[in-house]
Amino acid sequence: MLTVASLTRAQLAARLGGAGLLVQTGAFVSRIQSPIHSVADGIALLYGDYPLHGADGFADFHVGLRPSGGMRRWYRPQVSFDLDGQQPFEPLPQAHAFPMLEWGLNWCISTRAHAWLMIHAAVVERDGLAAILPAPPGSGKSTLCAALVHRGWRLLSDELALLRPEDGLLVPVPRPVSLKNRSIEVIRGFVADAVLSQPVSNTTKGTVAHLKAPADSVARAHETARPAWIVFPKYEAGAATSLTPIPRARAFFRVADNAFNYSHMGARGFNALAGTIERCASYDFRYSDLDEAMALFAALERPRT
Amino acid sequence: MTASETWCLRPGQTLQYRHWDDEYVLYNDLSGDTHLLGDAAIELLRVLKAGPASRQALAAVLEAQFDIDPLELDQETGELLRHLQHLYFIEPVPDNRADVPAC
Amino acid sequence: MKLPVLLRLLRDPGLVPKLSLPEWDLALRQATSVNLTPSLLALIEARGLLEQVPAQPRAQFEWVRALATRHRQAVRFEVDCIRAALAPVAAPLLLLKGAAYAMAGLRAGEGRLFGDIDILVPKARLVEIESALMLHGWITTKLDAYDQRYYREWMHELPPMQHMRRRSSIDVHHAILPETAPVRPDPDKLRAGARPVSGSGGLLATLSPCDMVLHSAVHLFFDGEFDKGLRDLLDLHRLLEEFGAEPGFWDALPARARELELSRPLFYALRYSRRLLGTTIPQAVLDAVAAAAPHPLVRALMDALFERALLPMHASCDDALTGPARFVLYVRGNWLRMPPLMLARHLFHKAFISKKDAPQAA
Repeated sequence: MLTVASLTRAQLAARLGGAGLLVQTGAFVSRIQSPIHSVADGIALLYGDYPLHGADGFADFHVGLRPSGGMRRWYRPQVSFDLDGQQPFEPLPQAHAFPMLEWGLNWCISTRAHAWLMIHAAVVERDGLAAILPAPPGSGKSTLCAALVHRGWRLLSDELALLRPEDGLLVPVPRPVSLKNRSIEVIRGFVADAVLSQPVSNTTKGTVAHLKAPADSVARAHETARPAWIVFPKYEAGAATSLTPIPRARAFFRVADNAFNYSHMGARGFNALAGTIERCASYDFRYSDLDEAMALFAALERPRT
Repeated sequence: MTASETWCLRPGQTLQYRHWDDEYVLYNDLSGDTHLLGDAAIELLRVLKAGPASRQALAAVLEAQFDIDPLELDQETGELLRHLQHLYFIEPVPDNRADVPAC
Repeated sequence: MKLPVLLRLLRDPGLVPKLSLPEWDLALRQATSVNLTPSLLALIEARGLLEQVPAQPRAQFEWVRALATRHRQAVRFEVDCIRAALAPVAAPLLLLKGAAYAMAGLRAGEGRLFGDIDILVPKARLVEIESALMLHGWITTKLDAYDQRYYREWMHELPPMQHMRRRSSIDVHHAILPETAPVRPDPDKLRAGARPVSGSGGLLATLSPCDMVLHSAVHLFFDGEFDKGLRDLLDLHRLLEEFGAEPGFWDALPARARELELSRPLFYALRYSRRLLGTTIPQAVLDAVAAAAPHPLVRALMDALFERALLPMHASCDDALTGPARFVLYVRGNWLRMPPLMLARHLFHKAFISKKDAPQAA
């Protein structure tokens, strides 16, 4: 299968500006249209390894990032996220177009893909076992995720854990890892050859940049993983690295609270989550030093069930 | 509420739950909600799963199995029953219905 | 008229093995735009054809399966809560539309999603019923004084009520058309024809098959807003196909329409259900309602309007006239429900107060 990298920059721009670019990210194919340069730049930089589908392929999501703003487009250009004719969000400054694509795609998945129990969490895997890292914003989950996938772990996702109710396995959707503010520099220092998009400042999340997913993670995007650990990370400056077990019932509700569609999934969701809680060891994880965090994760033991 | 009031499980409840440490996570088949409950609540639900029971009988079950101050027993039973009713797990059987088609 | 691929599929799910991948892509986008993917799944599964759907579109059907199941569970529960709240003042509980289809196990209810539970009650008992609902945790919405008056004086329903804890909504109707409409089908006749829901112990009821069809027709063709137009047309199609197999139904339908003064909406219902969704209707019935047809020029105009407005609200189904068609029908819908003077006030008032709150992306 051809990848996005097989296109020249001109061909990429032509598809984005025309009928659309069809790119596969794990379980989903998205058709992306946008005449905005920064969107093409972001895709060229970060999506080279992803499978390319032909113009008459099937796409799950039909998204567009279109200039908007009426009269304002000359001095304060904006961008609007279009999902097949609907605009679910308010427009943003045009400089935020590429982050808006990433946020928009996450939104598409989390509001529609109810075949899976979807948890707002990062998912990483090594030696056949996966760690789910649920976390509200500001917990340092993405920094931790970005670091782990450059220290031997495979990336399944930095935002969306997709849990299959039939067998309790996690389905990958490896996309660029979103980093904010301080963590952009931290990861630049931590990962030798980090490929990062141009940071975009003054977004509602602060300054945002996206880190290219490791090629190996993208190549293995069809490989599911068995969850073994649920780790709630919390970055705290100066804190000692610590791992504290969470009782199962509490872990259940904390994960459900971080799920996008727990309530939609009914009894199947209950049983899928309960099974996962039983098969995993759940922890609260506090850290301030990334190297220590890496060592702790490397030492995680297969849970006894 | 009187001692003779009778309670039953709302029809359709299968009482799917997990028991971890001392806590119970229970799925409500009717409302679709999920709840964290303690042993006493679960015990009442288990008894009612077998069939309707009077408040008096349920209080006796609690007294036999849990460490409850006899002076508090009636109030605690009442509170537990109201709580489970509020969560749509159980309902009172009206006094004027001798047979209970719903349960 | 070349029909959109979604309509071709709804007309004939047997097309499943013949669709190309680009056609599936378009069909699912059209279905998503009108929230009909779960209904489409139900139709395809009823024909045993799900295995023949290619992997990628098949995956999207699995996305909606959980929603349909959860929705059905929520409807059952909500109906039971309403029944319990109103048991002293309204038994059996007469359900309308989506709730009726779901609880009666009708094919029209399979995969059909909807927001509110609709019930029909005697006008004389409205006060008690509203009180009983409030006692059990429902509160009235639409607190603007104008809106309250709109509903209570002119419409055929209370302002929608919402349950404080569960956030579910209920619409309490006392008739199927507003006080201000030119025809007033007698709600007592509708209630007299009601059928019990089997398995509910006599606690739930629905309108009779003819009345369900007529209510659906009225709802679709007297209303002005067509965002759910195709869904409502699909209801009609499925109701007609299911009830059409019952002996006596086709004979009774035109007669009942005449009795309730609803022959014109029935004419339109049968016409567009047949033209757009291919519903099988006996010639004798078509002949019987032909007398209620409008002047041929009006009929041609209505065709142009409805055959645009009833299509999915998706760019692939629009032409240059779609926007104006929807607008004309919106005004017509309100015209049919309200006298001219009141209409102007209503439209003005609605346009003046409009809130826009779209969520933030990030």
